[in-house]
Amino acid sequence: MNPPAFVAEPGAVLPEITFGPLSRADIVRYAGASGDFNPIHIDEGYARATGAPTVFAMGMLPAGYLASALSSWLGGPEPLRRYKVRFTARVWPGDVIACTGRVAGVGDGVATLELEALRRGPGPDGLDVPDEEAAIVGVAELRLANPGDSAGRGEG
Amino acid sequence: MTEARISFDLPVERGKVREFALAVGATDPVHFDVREAEARGLADALAPPTFTVTQAWQVTREEREEALGANLEYGRVLHGEQEFVYERLPVAGEVLTGAMRISADVTKPGKRGGAMRFVTYESRFSDSGGHLVLTAYYTLIQTSKDPGS
Repeated sequence: MNPPAFVAEPGAVLPEITFGPLSRADIVRYAGASGDFNPIHIDEGYARATGAPTVFAMGMLPAGYLASALSSWLGGPEPLRRYKVRFTARVWPGDVIACTGRVAGVGDGVATLELEALRRGPGPDGLDVPDEEAAIVGVAELRLANPGDSAGRGEG
Repeated sequence: MTEARISFDLPVERGKVREFALAVGATDPVHFDVREAEARGLADALAPPTFTVTQAWQVTREEREEALGANLEYGRVLHGEQEFVYERLPVAGEVLTGAMRISADVTKPGKRGGAMRFVTYESRFSDSGGHLVLTAYYTLIQTSKDPGS
């Protein structure tokens, strides 16, 4: 892995990490891994019958990518204390998922991060969607390592 | 709110951790390589942060609805929010005990008229020693009945 770039200072920016472009196979793989077999995500005919132009990702797939980005920023997922996401747009096959974030606050040994996963792409035929929009808005809280803690990273 | 509960086991298997980590694009070897996990003070491969969604393999939507009785109309239900509160992340080889209940059920006015119902399922996962590992909150939104078509 690359050395962690994370700095627990308010306003510090977490550099963009992208996933995708999302394929239908990625959605099916996540269905199997998670056990979420809602046909609206994997069955084209079913999705169309509900009025959707095609299948779209279960929200927890880009939320899983965002958690993986978080882990990359932190140098591992171990410090996570809380992770919360809100789903704001559907993610379509062909979309690139771009994860970003910033440190919103630091105090009492806890850092709070504001996170976002953007979907980027033309979207499916027959649906008017922006080329880029927030698919997930999230927040994470981390335990900061104590000075002298062997697991600590980057403390001066 | 209701007092109904579902109890279930969630085995954290090494192969399942690997499969899930690959599906969510995780690259940290701590999910794949036991020696890396051991070097970081863990007994086995570490589960990714959202791993406990695999509880869908243990409790189906139908079983959940029958036991907890939220009476949702799934044709107009969206996954609105998801939250995890961690004591630690699960480790391969352990079997977590899950306890699920409805922790919130509120109806709010929708932006375009009608009412939106927010139902939150709380799942508390404990380890074999009875210690809390994490709590997951799964919030579904039932939108207003479509006034048109």
